[in-house]
Amino acid sequence: MTMYTTRRISILASLALAIAGCGGGGDGGGGNNPPPPPPPPVPISQAEAFQFLNQATFGATEAEAEAVIDMGFEAWIDDQLTKPASLQLPYVQSLPDPAFMGLLQPDRVDVWFRNSLYGEDQLRQRVAFALSEIMVVSQLSSLNNQPFALADYYDMLARNAFGNYRDLIEDVTLHPAMGVYLSMLSNEKPDPVLNIRPDENYARELMQLFSIGLVEMNIDGTVVVDGLGVPVPTYDQAVIEGFAHVYTGWTYAISNDFRNPRPIPENQIQPMNLWPEFHDDEAKLLLGGEMIPAGQGGEADLAQALDNVFDHPNVGPFMAIRLIQRLTTSNPSPQYIQRVATVFNNNGSGVRGDMGAVIKAILMDPEARPANPSATDGKLKEPLLRFTQLWKAYNATSESGSYRNLGAVYILFGQGPLQSPSVFNFFSPFYAPPGEIRDAGLVAPEFGIATEYLNTQFTNYIFFQALALNAENPDLEPDDVYIDFSEELELAANVDVLIDRVDQKLLAGTMSETLRNEIAGMLALIPETDAALRAAEVIYFVATSPEFAYQR
Amino acid sequence: MKKMNRRAFLKSSGAAAAMFAATPGITYAQVVGGGAPFNDYKALVCVFMFGGCDTFNMVVPRSNAEYNVYAASRQNMAVDQADLLPITPLTSDGVDYGLHPTMGGVQGLFTQGAASFVTNIGPLVEPTTKDQYFNSSVLLPPQLFSHNDQQDQWMSLRGINSSATGWAGRMADLIRSNVANQQMATNASLFGTNQFQSADETIAYIMGPTGPLQFSGFSTDPTSILNDQRLAFSAIVDADYDSVYERGFAAVQRRAIDAADTVSTAIENAPTLSTVFPASQLGTQLQTVANLIAVRDELQMERQIFFVATGGFDTHDDQVETLPGLLENISDSMTAFYNATVELGVADSVTSFTQSDFGRTLTSNGDGTDHAWASNQLVVGGAVNGQDFYGDYPLLQIGGDDDVGGGRIIPTTSADQYAATIAKWFGIDDVDLGVVAPNIDNFAVRDLGFMI
Repeated sequence: MTMYTTRRISILASLALAIAGCGGGGDGGGGNNPPPPPPPPVPISQAEAFQFLNQATFGATEAEAEAVIDMGFEAWIDDQLTKPASLQLPYVQSLPDPAFMGLLQPDRVDVWFRNSLYGEDQLRQRVAFALSEIMVVSQLSSLNNQPFALADYYDMLARNAFGNYRDLIEDVTLHPAMGVYLSMLSNEKPDPVLNIRPDENYARELMQLFSIGLVEMNIDGTVVVDGLGVPVPTYDQAVIEGFAHVYTGWTYAISNDFRNPRPIPENQIQPMNLWPEFHDDEAKLLLGGEMIPAGQGGEADLAQALDNVFDHPNVGPFMAIRLIQRLTTSNPSPQYIQRVATVFNNNGSGVRGDMGAVIKAILMDPEARPANPSATDGKLKEPLLRFTQLWKAYNATSESGSYRNLGAVYILFGQGPLQSPSVFNFFSPFYAPPGEIRDAGLVAPEFGIATEYLNTQFTNYIFFQALALNAENPDLEPDDVYIDFSEELELAANVDVLIDRVDQKLLAGTMSETLRNEIAGMLALIPETDAALRAAEVIYFVATSPEFAYQR
Repeated sequence: MKKMNRRAFLKSSGAAAAMFAATPGITYAQVVGGGAPFNDYKALVCVFMFGGCDTFNMVVPRSNAEYNVYAASRQNMAVDQADLLPITPLTSDGVDYGLHPTMGGVQGLFTQGAASFVTNIGPLVEPTTKDQYFNSSVLLPPQLFSHNDQQDQWMSLRGINSSATGWAGRMADLIRSNVANQQMATNASLFGTNQFQSADETIAYIMGPTGPLQFSGFSTDPTSILNDQRLAFSAIVDADYDSVYERGFAAVQRRAIDAADTVSTAIENAPTLSTVFPASQLGTQLQTVANLIAVRDELQMERQIFFVATGGFDTHDDQVETLPGLLENISDSMTAFYNATVELGVADSVTSFTQSDFGRTLTSNGDGTDHAWASNQLVVGGAVNGQDFYGDYPLLQIGGDDDVGGGRIIPTTSADQYAATIAKWFGIDDVDLGVVAPNIDNFAVRDLGFMI
């Protein structure tokens, strides 16, 4: 009821704005009327604050919603843009050397959970996670032995989250984690006698997945087609080979051997180093017919090549679509894409690639929180984000303070931090599940891992979390991450009050009648004296429900 | 013309199918008159090698002249001539061939007539020569050498068009009136969502590598509170929702609930196989497939298409160190699976076959190889016309007539021909092969002959 009232207020307020706009046009109608006063700020409802926070953080909480309602969306974003990055590397470095470096991966995931759940820089961490799903490196590779490289790569994404895209792609390109993952590390100039040509892996994926994509786009993300209606490719094999030659001559920072360098801890966290004798110094073809002249050296080649990619008109709409899909909605309108891409192209101060401005444009866009949502607005929450939202709402922790137990979270939910099965991420931005979504020509990337199998695994883990891994269980192990529903225990005698409380915490009071009635029916079967089971049941049903899986 | 009418009819009668699905004793086929029920069982198993397998190191020329050309092209990527496991195709092109030294299992299958290779195959829209490739006088599959696009080509056979469906999905749609009583979808994946099994009408069922999961805390015992739990969960899933994302999520949950008990219970009652599978992810998936095939009668399955997969084939780095283990896993897992079908007495009814993004460059980048085009693919089963090569095996020469650059070989057999040959054996009418393999009419041969 509160939400309904607030929505009415916001509709009235927007009407008032529209009228004010008319008046500004000079017509007015009644010349003797004074101009209307500026409209009062539109109050943000709890549901709107939750919606916003599920887009901008690792899950809405009542406390953070209060801050958003108090500050307003824009001021909250501006404040977040100033927060320094919570880091992973210092923690991972502080641990004693294990027998096998891969044993530190659960510790990397541990600090990821701590930063993502409780870091002050929620927006920065959420954007870093989004970037980690676009510019992918993964533990599921030889990087399993390089936990410092992965922690530092993630920290690099977090530092660059609100910086400039041009700096971001340079840092990504020269990061040893990426060097290993997409084999630019130790990539060398051609040797025609041995039929050796430069490795094309990084050349291809930087363009296809991190920057411009396969086909030319207009600024609104629509595909450019030729006279026959065929999409126009952004590059061909000759351009790939040009970039492959650019990316020759780089290896770990500290090494006596270009071809067989060792991933000592220092090498995992320093940008790769150029060995000029292994760099191809011939002329090279770039995008749009641009040529790198012969003989300018590896660093100048790299700078020119990354500038060439950065200046391609696809980058704005490409990054707009990728980031909008990660944060707000699966199917942005061309207008939404264009508004964000326009900010990418120029932040208003003549700067191209200002990521902070892009993130703000995505979150402040009217389409991020439409006044009258349609059936296709919003998105499915990623399973890991459903999970962190639940954990945040119920202050999940362990006696030891560690989240190491979830080190292999990708096995549980099909995703985890830097745990993608390949550079193509956990799911494709183009994935369309069978049924009405695909029939309507829409996409829903997260459904790529919303399979019968993984959904059931998620459902079962929530069951286990709610019923067993909670603070009321006396048999918890020190590393068991448990949720705390002590507040609900006090309310459990009254079914309606109990359900209301969980509804407020997880759904901002938007629970459907069906969900409420079914939960109430279950609670009626549980004795009033079994408060813990009652509380656990409500949380289980809400956290596994379609409405909780949906990000408005 | 005929095929269009039939498909249009099937599509329009979806509501009737839904209505009669709930009516015991009356099959959809009886009502709408579609295809006659099959009177036999057949299963296909697609083994996808993600990343682009270097299959010119899987099947290698062994005769001196051709081997020397191979070795000169491949340099430090070459397999030693003496290490190759000899195989002798029944149809000789005058060259001796061998398999990668880790593929003793497949060598045995080949020699006993239970396996063949389809050589120099890849996505094509129409037959393509090197001149035609460079002067753009033929249509080419878009985005050659790109992983996801070429995976998509193999799985969808979309050619220059876009396609929401895959060729296994389209096969399932074509036979859906023939198999209305199956208790599980025709398509089942043990490796997640995939384009291969995507369909307009029939939705693939996705389980884990060891089978479906049952829901914790559910019971069907009417005296248990866990039965109420199951019913409440079900009612929530079946509620009306405003958002397509809620509805889509609920639909997955509904399919999971429906299949979990039936399939899990059936698998639990499967006989224990004496065949030992490799402990790899692929070996585990194929063992589960064998268990599912063992309970085909309990599940009333007549036609099944399984998708299993393994990754790591994108060997840009360290190929010499990593490829042997990858190929050994393919060989050992597919050999064990074939042996399991023999043990179950269904070897003649089950065909497994490989697919992969693309072949790899014959040239190296120092310690690995890059994305290319043509490859060789393996077909295994009792219904395979075994111990042979289907298609030409090219001369592996850099700059030769088949090389578009860097040792990227143009396919001389198309993935459409591969699919059409398999589909025909599976029971797809000749008139419908164009639905399965949309570019098939661009090729003179519709049936490559590797299936009985």
